[in-house]
Amino acid sequence: MKPDIIFKQEFKIKGGDFINGGDASCKIGNILKEVGIDPDIILRITVAAYEAEMNAVIYALKGTMVFSIGTDKITLKIEDEGKGIKDIELAMQEGYSTATQEIREMGFGAGMGLPNIKKNADIFNISSKVGKGTHLEIIFYLNNKNV
Amino acid sequence: MSKATQFHSIKIDKKKCIGCVICMKACPQKAIRIGKDKKAKIDRRTCIDCGECLRVCPYNAVIPITTKTSDLDKFKYKVALPSPVLYSQFGQHVMPNEILSVLKEIGFDYTCDETVMCEMTSRVIEKYLDEHKSKGPVISSVCPVVVRLIQGLFPSLCELILPIEPPREMAARNLREEISRREKIPKSEIGIFHITPCAAKMVSINYPESMEKSYLNGAISIRSIYNTMMMKLKKSKPLQMFQTQNISGIGIGWALPGGEIRDIKHHSVSVSGVMDTIKILKDVEAGKLKNIRYLECLICPDGCVGGPLTVENRFVAKSNILMLIWMYGGKKCVSDYTAERLYKEGLFSFKREVKPRPFPPLDKNRTKALQKLKLKEEIIKQLPGFDCGVCGAPDCKTLADDIARNKAKLTDCLFFKEGACSPIQKEGKL
Repeated sequence: MKPDIIFKQEFKIKGGDFINGGDASCKIGNILKEVGIDPDIILRITVAAYEAEMNAVIYALKGTMVFSIGTDKITLKIEDEGKGIKDIELAMQEGYSTATQEIREMGFGAGMGLPNIKKNADIFNISSKVGKGTHLEIIFYLNNKNV
Repeated sequence: MSKATQFHSIKIDKKKCIGCVICMKACPQKAIRIGKDKKAKIDRRTCIDCGECLRVCPYNAVIPITTKTSDLDKFKYKVALPSPVLYSQFGQHVMPNEILSVLKEIGFDYTCDETVMCEMTSRVIEKYLDEHKSKGPVISSVCPVVVRLIQGLFPSLCELILPIEPPREMAARNLREEISRREKIPKSEIGIFHITPCAAKMVSINYPESMEKSYLNGAISIRSIYNTMMMKLKKSKPLQMFQTQNISGIGIGWALPGGEIRDIKHHSVSVSGVMDTIKILKDVEAGKLKNIRYLECLICPDGCVGGPLTVENRFVAKSNILMLIWMYGGKKCVSDYTAERLYKEGLFSFKREVKPRPFPPLDKNRTKALQKLKLKEEIIKQLPGFDCGVCGAPDCKTLADDIARNKAKLTDCLFFKEGACSPIQKEGKL
């Protein structure tokens, strides 16, 4: 563990589990509130975490979300094993989605997930291998007034 | 700690409290502890005035703080402004105008119906939603408990709170102007009191979040005047009618969940009950409900008819309200033009925005808070997980939280003391 990480927690994500999908991001939100992070930053993190978590639920077989709080930043790492993304540039476009009709009928797959994560994050890295899976790294900077 | 978080509409009667765990277990905020003196104690900072403790206490030891009828005499001219819920409390054969007349008989100088203003507010909400298309979901600000809950538990959602005053405030504002002009009495000598199904209104009246001073002078609980009203109703049939006021069928619906949104064309959702409200606000926080335009949240189960200070069984009350809605029908009492004009004038708008007031974190210093978070998780592992409440905290997780905050000790746990939490037992439990 790097010295600047003060708190770290890992969550398992199960692909296709819409019942429990969203639990991890909810728990992350609770932790952030207990620690006293700025409400605006909490909102950005929970929205991004939820979108990332649901992406793994919708498109992957399984995945993990690692949430860590450092002295000056909060990092979310989502790694999934699934079909991966063929064209990342296209996937980053608002409204583009490969979701099936069934997924769309459940209210997901509007093509806003990745753009929404990017919009809320300070740093957003994405890499993907078709047939293997997708890795996301989302970083939020904290203002350091309370450290 | 600000004054507003310090004032609460609920207190514990230490003489009656026997220190059982019932209210502590029922509190959705985990704001109640049983102290060393074997009495319940409410944490002022995390209490949201939802009234769940008031509902469950078998010893009547949880007391609502509302305006006493004796306090009315401070005012020269006394006005009652009953919540539409009052119309549901006396059976299906007592009509709203009769109830207004009875209020006058029991000592008020004037009574005014609130339902027309409720309908007006529905119209104004619609205008607001028309103008703020990209915002969503806008969350109703009618229930003061919901507002406090958002400020504390979901501070980032404060900007979604509907910045429109609830009908009780707007009606009181109009009444004061009107009566002062008509009766030629100074505004300060007019006392306007909301007849309320819950104690939480006292918080919004004493420490309003959205303006300097409330237009209301107090709130009288339905329970405290029910008997007097019932006696009058039984005695004097047929009732002498003092006035016949226009009653709005749409406005009466405000006593039930869905009342605010019944007449709104935008996609709206209504939620009632404290746990369901917390659940849906979590969804809003995660950004799940972007397609919904308006969210009506009412902390009491089945909305205001389920208020803890009502008398009639809430299911019967609900049926009574439905009957009234059917009787008064969808007849509109408010013209679209007036609503539009009042909305444009900004009369209904908040004077100041509702600011986040997050519940206290584990520590003000973030690094220390994180250390305490780790400590808390270590403590949870050492506790038995029975959630028995004997230690004085509602469950093991909350005790761990208290220990991390230096408010309790590990030895407060009876099982820990007895050595019953050895690792072997722990494994056996799992």
